[in-house]
This record gives sequence, structure tokens and C-alpha cells, in this order.
Amino acid sequence: MDGQLLVSGVIFGFSLASIYFLISIGLSLCFGLMRIISLDQLLYYSFGAYITYTVTTITGSFWLGVLCGVIVGGLLAFFVERAIFRRIYERELTFSMITSFGVLLGGIGLIKFIWGVVPRPVKTPFTDQIVLIGTEIPAYRLLVILIAGLVYLGIWLFLNKTIIGKAIRAGIEDMNHVEGLGINVTRLFTITFVLAASLSALGGALYAPLIIVDPSMGLEVLAFAFMVVIIGGLGSIKGTLISAIIVGQVVSIGSLIYAPLAIMAPFAMMLVILLIKPTGLFGSKLTK
Amino acid sequence: MLDTWRWWRGILIAFGLVAISRLFIPLPFLNEVLIFSIYTIGCNFLLGKVGFISFGQPAYLAIGAYGTAFYLFYFGTNPYIGILVGLASGLIFSTLVAPMFVRLRSDYFALVNLALAVIIFYMMQKVFAGITKGDNGLWFLASIASTPLLDLTKPSDFFTFSLLVAIALWAFYKYIDGTIFGACCLATKINETKLQFLGYSNFRIRLIAFVIANTSTALAGSLYAVYLGSVSPEITSPARTADPVVVTILGGVGSLFGPLVGTIAYTGLRDVISKLIGNWEFFIGAILVIIMLTNSSGLYGSAEALLKKLVNKLKSQAEKQVLK
Repeated sequence: MDGQLLVSGVIFGFSLASIYFLISIGLSLCFGLMRIISLDQLLYYSFGAYITYTVTTITGSFWLGVLCGVIVGGLLAFFVERAIFRRIYERELTFSMITSFGVLLGGIGLIKFIWGVVPRPVKTPFTDQIVLIGTEIPAYRLLVILIAGLVYLGIWLFLNKTIIGKAIRAGIEDMNHVEGLGINVTRLFTITFVLAASLSALGGALYAPLIIVDPSMGLEVLAFAFMVVIIGGLGSIKGTLISAIIVGQVVSIGSLIYAPLAIMAPFAMMLVILLIKPTGLFGSKLTK
Repeated sequence: MLDTWRWWRGILIAFGLVAISRLFIPLPFLNEVLIFSIYTIGCNFLLGKVGFISFGQPAYLAIGAYGTAFYLFYFGTNPYIGILVGLASGLIFSTLVAPMFVRLRSDYFALVNLALAVIIFYMMQKVFAGITKGDNGLWFLASIASTPLLDLTKPSDFFTFSLLVAIALWAFYKYIDGTIFGACCLATKINETKLQFLGYSNFRIRLIAFVIANTSTALAGSLYAVYLGSVSPEITSPARTADPVVVTILGGVGSLFGPLVGTIAYTGLRDVISKLIGNWEFFIGAILVIIMLTNSSGLYGSAEALLKKLVNKLKSQAEKQVLK
């Protein structure tokens, strides 16, 4: 394996990791704060990609499409949270898992209804190549990595420097105390849910030019998103970042070595990690 | 004698209705319903009685199906032995993975099973493509031998066979419900600590329940293999991992006939809606959310409650008339 291949493989892995990170951070936040497993994050991811497709084809501006995708994803999540999730926060985990799967399934039906079943390609906003250590790399992938990095920084600042973020972090530790301090927990949940969904939608919107957008894209990435969350530990943001990078690199570099095993390898890794440490790398012992 | 009749009554009536409906419902639909309900009852048992939600049932389905397929494609021709091979491979596989899986908490359990289904999918599609013929799948319809008495290559005889299998399986699950083991399963779902205090091992009970449920799932897989005469990795594709869970919820979690009613509703809805509008996911998803939000006990559960209410009403009316 020569150096150029390796460099491009690593960059590819990081861009994959960025997308996985954006999707799974929502799952992780929802679990950490509300103790729900929100499979419908994958729905906002698909919606983000589809809205990006529509707006890009109409206006020709990709970044406007991404913006619209994030906004629509967030709005959709707001309504879903108000109508459905508000009623089930008190219930056990499996309950939210099944309900959110129902939302995901219904949403996929809705996507098929609006956009049809034909896969849609999204044009890459720019096709420039950047030379890095003697290897040509698509600039768009680097930009995706940069955006994911900024998002991580933004979330870190949000959680550590703002009062809402601090309340969210406290809520992950102990919800009852936060409620006792007089913080409006219902509003906190809505904010977290919409934030999580917007990030998933951003992931979908950014990923759209790199893949072909089709109705079942959410289901395809579901297993990977879960894997990232599980390896990192449910509810841990640092863990999600690290495990996203691990999974992205394993898939990318693995496919350079032996393609058929590349997609399987992270799953095998997850099984091993779970057997050694059943709560994931950074997971705390959360029980409900 | 009367007790025996009472015990069997529900099962015989339910499957008698299925058998009668053969007269006016096409056979492929009924075969599909029977196999799918066998597929779902394992998930129903895990979710309703043991408290494990599994998003990975297709993994065990595929193990059973591929067990049968390998036998029929490479070694023999007798479909009955093929089904036994599928059953045995399901038993062995679930016994192997059970000690690792049943230690996990319910949410992790669901996700690890999902991962297992995806691993099996890629294994069958790519890694063992030499033996499994990759995406094309194994085709062995022509090589299944006709057997005397019940010829499984004929759809009508296959229907009789799968009906008998389903009756036996339902009787088995009903029997389990009545045993101490069944009570222990329910107890491990509701109160682990208490069960431990009573001197039972949670781990062992979960292990046995897991193996039982997934072996019956593998049985459904081998029935699929014989019925379709082909097996491809599509059977465990990531997009279909939640089917059994959806059907279980639709029918009513933990009830004996939930899987059957749920399967009929699910398969029927899928066929009817996809013919009319071509967009069945939306309706299934909406129904699922409504069932969860209204906290109802699924189609069969609600029907059962309504029926009981009706019977009680009639009884009290009759009593009133007698009093008058």
C-alpha cells in the first residue's frame, strides 16, 4: 500500500467519521438527557438530504439547501417532539425505541410519497482538488471535516459556557435535581431534541453530494449510527466523537486492505468492546 | 377430557379459521402468513415474556434458512431433513451467542442483535460469497425431492405441513406459559432481584428463553427456504430488521395469538395498501405510533378485551332476566 492511497484513505475516513459524528451526537444527547432511544434522528437525516436536493435543484445554491435542510429538520423534530415524544418521556427505553421506529417508518413512507422512490443525485458544490502531502484530495471532504470539527467545538462551548448547556449537562447527571432548581425541564427537552435533529439534518445535508439520496438511506446508516453510539457509550459526547473517528477509519482503511471485511469489521469490534465493557468506552452506568 | 379440550380450544379454533379461510383466500398469502407468524412468535416471547427487545431476529432467520439451503443445495434432497438441519443450526448458533448476549441490558441487547443481523448479512453477501453465491442466492427448488404423504414441493401440501408445525409451536409456547419456567421468565422481566432471592438464576432463565425463541425463529427460516426454494442475503437485509418487532406490537405484545393476528394485519395491509397507493410504510408507521401512544395492547389484545366485555355484558343481562 503506497503513501498516497493511505493519505486519501485517512482523509476519507475522517470525512466519514464527521458524518457519523453528526448523526450519532443526536442519538447520544437524547439518550443522555431524556433517556430515550430516538431512532427517528435518522428521519431528520434523510429529510435534511432531501430538502438539500430540492433547494439545490431549484435555486442552484448548495449552501442555501443545507440551511433549509437544517431548518426543516429542526422544525419537523419540534412538531414530532410536541406531538409524540412529550407523552413518552416517562416510559421505559424499549417503549421509546419502538415508537421512534414507528415515526421513522412513517417518515420514510412520507418521503416516498413526496419525492418518489427514485434515487436522487445532488451536485457537489465544488470539485476543486487540494494537494496534501503529494496527494490530491477533494476539497469538499476537507470542508466536511472542518464543519464537523466546528460543530464539536460549538457543542462543547454550548454545553460548558451557556446556562442552557449547563442545565443540559446537569440533567444528564441527575434530572430530578435540575427540576428542583426550578428549570423548565420540558423546554430543556424540546431544545435538546431540536438541536439533536438539526445536527442529524446537517449530517444528511452535508453527506448528500457524496452519496445518492434515496428513501431508505436512513435505514442503511442506522446500524452505523448505533454502533458509534454504543462503542462510545450512550450519553457521552466525547465518546461519540472518538468512536466516530475509530469507526470511520476502520471502514475506510479496512476497505483498502480487504473490501468485504471493511463494513463488517466495526461490528465485530463493537461486539468485542461490549463483551469487555458492556457500557461502551466512555459510557457511565446509566439506569432508568 | 374436558380440560384437554379447553386447553386446546383456542389454538384449534384460531388455526381452524386459518384452514377454513383457504377456501377464499389465495394460498401464497396464507403460506406467507403462517411462516411469518412462526417467525414472529419468537420475538413476541422475548419481548412479552422476557422483556428483551430484539432488532436482530433476521439474523436467526437467516441462520435457519441458510442451514436448510446448504443441505438442500450441496448434500441432500429431502426437505424434512433440510428443515431439521436448519433447526439444529439455529439451536447451535443461538446457544453459542446466548451467553454473550443475555448479560446485556435491554437497550444494548436490541442494538447488539441489530449489529449481529448486519454482520450475518455481509457475511452471506460478501465474505462467504463462494459458498452462498453472494447476492444471487442459492436456488434449489428443482432439487427438492417429492416425499410421500406430504409433498412439500406442492404449495397445498406445504400449507398443511406449516399449519401442523404452527399448531405444535403454539401448543409448545402455551405449555411454556403454564410451567414454572414460564413464570420465571415473566419474573425476570418484572423483578430480577426477587427472582434471585427465590433462588433462581436470572442468567440461566434468560439463556434458555433466548435459545428457545431463536430456535423457533430459525425454524421459520428453514420453512422459508423450503417454501421459496431459494435463499438470498436479502432475508437479513438491514432494512427489514424491525419487521418482527412491528408485527409483535401490531398484534399485541405477549398475547398468544398476537403474532398470528399481527401477521395477518401486517401482510394484508402491505398487500392491499401497496396495491392501492403504493406507500404502505406510512400507514404501518402511523398505526405503530398510535398503538404505542394510546397504550393499547395491539389488535388482538384490544379485540380480546372487547370480546370479554361483550361476554360479561351478555352474561349479566342473562342473569338479570333470570332474576326477573
